[in-house]
Amino acid sequence: MASLNEAQLKLVADLEIEMMADMYNRMTMTCQKKCIPPRYNDAELAKGEAVCIDRCVAKYLDIHDRIGKKLTAMSQQDEATMKKLQSQMQPQQQS
Amino acid sequence: MAASSGNTMQGELNRTLRPADVTDFNSIIGNVIGEKGKRQQVFVPFGGIPQPPKSKEEIMIARAFESCTFKATASCVIGFGIGGAFGLFTAGIDPMSTMSTETPTTKMVLREMKLRTISYGKNFAMIGCLFAGTECLLESYRGKTELLNGTLSGGFVGGIIGLRAGVKAGLLGAAGFALFSTAIDYYMRHG
Repeated sequence: MASLNEAQLKLVADLEIEMMADMYNRMTMTCQKKCIPPRYNDAELAKGEAVCIDRCVAKYLDIHDRIGKKLTAMSQQDEATMKKLQSQMQPQQQS
Repeated sequence: MAASSGNTMQGELNRTLRPADVTDFNSIIGNVIGEKGKRQQVFVPFGGIPQPPKSKEEIMIARAFESCTFKATASCVIGFGIGGAFGLFTAGIDPMSTMSTETPTTKMVLREMKLRTISYGKNFAMIGCLFAGTECLLESYRGKTELLNGTLSGGFVGGIIGLRAGVKAGLLGAAGFALFSTAIDYYMRHG
């Protein structure tokens, strides 16, 4: 990939921060809805709830990674297809 | 071309897509999501109430106190204590339920106290250890904190203990202990 200029580096940093914050918020809300029943008799986190939250976070991060890899693979495939089309169009224009 | 596509972020969304846009998009998201992203940074959680991060020893100690082995051994020790106290007390009240001589001497009462302390203590310790261990393991496996965990582990432990005296006693013990455990848990939570 081509090296990025300054504006694009700033964009990458901003996007990464926003992505991480969004993922953290969604993960917190999802895991809380799934693992912690809305009955607050005790302030401490029970063992079952702690185990559930550990598993929920691990699964969420794993899903996030896999889907991210899938997305980059798909977009690179799109780019390859587009480059092929472009190289096919140019000889037609020249001829 | 790269600089101009950086400036198009401010406007001009209704022009046709160029090949350079796709390449730029790919390189940007490749850096954000893909393998080129800066993964070696420590992930700082955004949001939430800022607290100082817990030290490694603190986390280890907290995890050790929450572990199933600690809970089972603590229950064993406490069970031995309670059983011993119970045995001592009942031996003091009625020492001659196991023998049938008329007037017990002090030495015989003390001996009976010692025997009963150890015997009741061992029984209670075993019950407590088994119950706490199975309940903790069940809760870890299921990932839920409910009353059902107490019921199931009570049934299991009651069945094991009752099985020493036959199948029917095992079933009865399982049912009784499950009911007892559920009642105690319900009282502790809602009472």
